[in-house]
Amino acid sequence: MNPAPPGTREPAPATLAHWWGRLRDIQVSGTATVAMLVVVIAVNVALQPNFFDQYALTSNFATFVPLVAIAVGQTIVVLSGGIDLSLGAQVTLASVVTVQLTDGELGNLPLALTAGLGVGVACGLFNGLVVVVARLQPIVATFATSFVFSGLALVVLPRPGGTMPSEFTSGYRDSVLGVPVALLAILAIAAGWLLLRRHRVTRHIYAVGGNAEAAFASLVPVARTRITAYVIAGMFASVSAFAILANTGAGDPFIGNELTLTSVAAVVIGGTALRGGRGGAIGSILGAIILALVSNIVFFADVPSTYRQLANGLVVILALALAGIPALQKRRSA
Amino acid sequence: MIGSANRRWRAAVLLTATGLLLAACGGDDGSNGGNGGSGGDGPFTIGLSNGFVGSEWRTQMVDGVTEAFEEYQDEGVLDQLVVESADTDVNGQIQQIRNLINRDVDAIIVNPNSETALDAVFQEATDRGIVVVAVDQAVTSPGVTNVVIDQAEWARISAEWLADQVGSDGRIVVVNGISGHPANEMRWGAAEEVFEQAGVEVLTVADGGWDQATGQQVMSNLLATYPDLDGVWTQDGMAEGIFRAVQAADKLDEIVISGEARVGYMRLWNDARDNGFSSIGVVNPPGGAVSAVHMVVNLLQGNEFAADRVDGNTVHVPIPFTVDTNNFDEYWPDVENETDAYVLDGSLTKDEAAEYFD
Repeated sequence: MNPAPPGTREPAPATLAHWWGRLRDIQVSGTATVAMLVVVIAVNVALQPNFFDQYALTSNFATFVPLVAIAVGQTIVVLSGGIDLSLGAQVTLASVVTVQLTDGELGNLPLALTAGLGVGVACGLFNGLVVVVARLQPIVATFATSFVFSGLALVVLPRPGGTMPSEFTSGYRDSVLGVPVALLAILAIAAGWLLLRRHRVTRHIYAVGGNAEAAFASLVPVARTRITAYVIAGMFASVSAFAILANTGAGDPFIGNELTLTSVAAVVIGGTALRGGRGGAIGSILGAIILALVSNIVFFADVPSTYRQLANGLVVILALALAGIPALQKRRSA
Repeated sequence: MIGSANRRWRAAVLLTATGLLLAACGGDDGSNGGNGGSGGDGPFTIGLSNGFVGSEWRTQMVDGVTEAFEEYQDEGVLDQLVVESADTDVNGQIQQIRNLINRDVDAIIVNPNSETALDAVFQEATDRGIVVVAVDQAVTSPGVTNVVIDQAEWARISAEWLADQVGSDGRIVVVNGISGHPANEMRWGAAEEVFEQAGVEVLTVADGGWDQATGQQVMSNLLATYPDLDGVWTQDGMAEGIFRAVQAADKLDEIVISGEARVGYMRLWNDARDNGFSSIGVVNPPGGAVSAVHMVVNLLQGNEFAADRVDGNTVHVPIPFTVDTNNFDEYWPDVENETDAYVLDGSLTKDEAAEYFD
């Protein structure tokens, strides 16, 4: 991502036309995301006749949750003007700590989940301090801390092992009144975001990500807001870790690392600008679902397995390009 | 501005979610899909899930399964093979397996990316009556049958040979794969015991990551640290690099190398034979997956494993053969035109696989 050249971002000209332009910008990109989701669902249904069977739905939603959670976390950091390349490693670390403390006993679960959440908070705080206090570029700093976190994960759980209680894994695959628990989890994550959205800290995050100097001038605590963004992201990484543990039923010291880049892709497809300040987590949730469904489509379309990765990559690029069109239009009209 | 955009979002999402939910509830009483379950008449559909594609070994495995499938297809026993093969992590492999379940396969052959972390998704498959067989890497899930070679036995063969070559009080170094990896631990556990009993002195143990280049680098360092070595014990995927390191130090006549049954290494071995170089290569067969296909067909046809063939949830397939100095010429002409990464291979025949069942 190239940072915008100095002239591109107008220093807040509060004309009606300008605000209308920005407003439209966001709406269009939101519509594009929803349209993409509708298309991938339609294609998936066409290719997979049993798409709406109970098992297919349950298993699909179960697959979505880890990515949905981490995408929401990434959105919050991106909105604040940063990026977190250590989120996947945080997922790994939180998951191995949780599985080690659970030790297969249902009774240990509350403590273990609390500790897992604590790991996310601690990792987020660490990232925030490195970025804000040490003033390192977020992309470099979090890339570096990702090795710290995944290294710690190997210390906590040197080789795959540990079990989660069967109530935990089977509950995750259950449904309540025909609605899969995993779907409820996604709705809960969305509700969590909407609540957060009303909170002052999120308004600060938008302000800092949009224009840090202006925010500072408006007495927004810039440093604290940035750190908070990383901490909230870490908490969502922990939620992602719990979903993964429910999916796997066991620990693995490499499990979350590959989620990082997918989370960034979900954020972009969801219409959040990587330069910060604009967008929202609902789009990223849809973006995460789109990405997961794309790999389903590639599978059910019988793409030969040698070409599958290529096809997957091309579709993702296409989606990213589509999501970027509104921004291009805006730049041309500006 | 953000508020109003957000309302739009909410409306759109609510719509989509409601649509999905309605569809979900509508689909509830729909068909239950799966024709899974064993003891049927077929033809059956089988799925293959492979989470790593970066090596010739895996390519050979997938090709082998495809060939075996085609034979059964001609006989009308199997009608479809769904291959899921991509570089992915455990989460991706969970999705692979769920897709296979949604494809209504009757059996899944999996080369698992994790020993434990696929347990829950295997449970989803077995709950739906799908036969699941793991190859190459054993898994802990009790409902899954592991069809694998005995890694300890595999390591013991070359370790015994090396111990014999260097004699008691021989001084060796060890270049292992990846510490903590289950296969590595099983292999080294067995080899270490052999060396202990034979009185061979293991000076140090290093990791070469099952990679030729890394193996070569590690061996060069070891040669510099230990000038007075009698031998080196290593695993597959690294022997070529180790040979080159020893060759570069001009010590091929002093240091005995336990090799591997791959064409690249055998080419070097073949060139050095005239100078009295001797080695060993124990086959770690990609064709284990082919043996698994035969067993899966038996299971689908309702046969059960003979009690004495199963150890827990593991069935050991034999190590096909070992290349050594005496039989080198038996195997070399057949494979010398293959690429360096080609692994010597072998698998059970249909009849041999049938002997594993009652």
